[in-house]
Amino acid sequence: MSLADMLTILSATTATLLLSVTGILLGLPIGLGLALVRWARVPLANQFVRACVSLLRATPLVTLVLLLFFALPNAGIAVGPIAAAVIALTLNTSAFNCEIWRAALIDFPKDQLEAAQSVGMRRLTYLHRIVLPQIARSSLPALISEMSQVIKVTPVLAVVGVVEITRAAVRVGAETFEPLPPFLFALAIYLPIIYALLRLQRRFELNAEMPA
Amino acid sequence: MIHDFSIVWAERNLLISGLMTTVLLSFLAATGSLMLGALLSTALVRKVGVASVAARAFADAMRCTPFLLFAYLIYFGLPSLGVRFDGWWAGAVALTAYHSAYMGEVLRATWVAQPPAPLEAGHAFGFTGFRLFRRIVLPPLIFSSAPVVGNQVIQIVKDSAFLTVIALPELTHAASSIQSRHYVPFAAFIAAVLLYWAICLTIEMGVGVVGRMAESRR
Amino acid sequence: MTQHTHTALNAASSTNPVLSVVSLSKSFGNLQVLDNISISVERGKTVCLLGPSGSGKSTLLRCINWLECPDSGHVLLDGKHIGVTSGGVVMDAHELALIRTRIGMVFQHFALWPHLTVLQNVMEAPVQVQRRRREQVCEEAEQLLRRVGLFDKKDVFPARLSGGQKQRVGIARAMAMKPTLLLFDEPTSALDPELVGEVLAVMRDLAAEGMTMVVVTHEMDFARDAASQVVFIDRGAVVETGSPDAFFNNPVTDRAQQFLMRFAKSLS
Repeated sequence: MSLADMLTILSATTATLLLSVTGILLGLPIGLGLALVRWARVPLANQFVRACVSLLRATPLVTLVLLLFFALPNAGIAVGPIAAAVIALTLNTSAFNCEIWRAALIDFPKDQLEAAQSVGMRRLTYLHRIVLPQIARSSLPALISEMSQVIKVTPVLAVVGVVEITRAAVRVGAETFEPLPPFLFALAIYLPIIYALLRLQRRFELNAEMPA
Repeated sequence: MIHDFSIVWAERNLLISGLMTTVLLSFLAATGSLMLGALLSTALVRKVGVASVAARAFADAMRCTPFLLFAYLIYFGLPSLGVRFDGWWAGAVALTAYHSAYMGEVLRATWVAQPPAPLEAGHAFGFTGFRLFRRIVLPPLIFSSAPVVGNQVIQIVKDSAFLTVIALPELTHAASSIQSRHYVPFAAFIAAVLLYWAICLTIEMGVGVVGRMAESRR
Repeated sequence: MTQHTHTALNAASSTNPVLSVVSLSKSFGNLQVLDNISISVERGKTVCLLGPSGSGKSTLLRCINWLECPDSGHVLLDGKHIGVTSGGVVMDAHELALIRTRIGMVFQHFALWPHLTVLQNVMEAPVQVQRRRREQVCEEAEQLLRRVGLFDKKDVFPARLSGGQKQRVGIARAMAMKPTLLLFDEPTSALDPELVGEVLAVMRDLAAEGMTMVVVTHEMDFARDAASQVVFIDRGAVVETGSPDAFFNNPVTDRAQQFLMRFAKSLS
């Protein structure tokens, strides 16, 4: 494996990171929104979100991205590989984030709501100033775990032609007939990024266990 | 649209064959990774020793590796070292090895959350070694860990779909194949998605059954 | 072998102590919990270990069946070493397990196995560890449950029982092993006051029948009525020992007197 090959794989890191970060940044608020719709028991929307989230959590990302990439153009919506990849990734992680946020909302102590109501606080203010800061902190380990999961599924987006780290490594391996070195090199790129997230997750888990 | 679905229906044998492969592969990987994970967890709960360090290193390595890259390593990379698998077995080995790390971690986390008194009673009554593990430690562990283990099994089913890229004839591969031959992407993939959903709902029902057994003992 | 035959045989060999604890010492870090402590328990006797919190009584009890490892000293059951052989070699797990089957233990927090029913809890160790025949063990287990008044709960899971019921199952479970010695680690401390009586009643019966028992407890009435000997422990050492009459009515040492006064005060 030559230096040029290594640079090829390295340059694909941009694609991986861009896709991952976009998915993460979009998935966090969308997931929260979905969780709030379920928490507020908005009629009809509640059941709809519940079904969609259940479906999305059960669907492999590869199947979802293939569905979007091939089916949307048939319906008249032109999507390129990147668009299909981002939409699929976002839908996928939003569904998981929804469940994480929802678990935190369910566990949230009811007496705080009563305290807020007794001083006449509006529901929106209560959500914004009381609930959100606390559940953000308690959900952090699970949310970070989901972020590392986003990075770990990006290689699959190559099926629609997105060239990320793993696909670049496959190409180099196919050209040089030495598959092992480029794969190990790719691994060496993924490991520190995901490990950093793992360490971050563990730190927040420990913080959560310590008494307030 | 209806016409599309009728085409998919005409090709249902291919789809069902893919479904069976997915189910079989996932089942093998789930049982294998659960057993290996149980073994791994006995090393992970220890704080010191070579076994504990090696187990932690393995678990962390798998948690920091994308599954598809790991599958590629097994399928394309291992032949360089003289170990050759066909697509099916490479997929099975990759799924099992990868998820044994997650199962081990899940079981470890549940294990340390168990109350210590019944285990101490086990020691006091003369239980040791494997008998202690199988009769005193394991049953409550299974009841407590069922929901999280269930989630991992669902994850295994979804990761099995990734193996379509090494041409393993599982469900997504079957749907892809129907799609590419008949140009019915929506119908083909929706059919696949619904079948994955069915598998996951079945797993969740199984977890529910174990959950009810656990409730009567809680 | 019925309980009564067991008692008769016990009475015949009353010269050698069933349990000998010799010069046990243990520290946790800088804290000296047991300080060269020795006790001896004769066959058929009930010994109550009394003392203020943190005096080391529970640690002493747990050193007997080696759930805690003392730093130095010996523990002998019927003359046989536990935990460490006479040569100073640490016993292997299998040997230790064998000896533990002869010592029954009742825990403060019951420690019943949650995945097993009441009857299964009582049968588990005799069948799995002592390898006795299941049918025989089942008969004996049901008999024991009748004795502690819980036969009608035999197919219930522990989670559905009250604290007092759980502890009575715990006693039946320990008895099912046909132990030479029964250890009780504050058996009623975790119980609501109204449930204490039912457990103490079972323990009184066992004591009256000649079971060899070592009991760590705060229940002074039980010690006064049912014990053959009281051992008062403070700061890891035996301060005073004697019959319950002597101890409760004429305590010799200052510390024993203070302890009993504090106890009397908390009653009134």
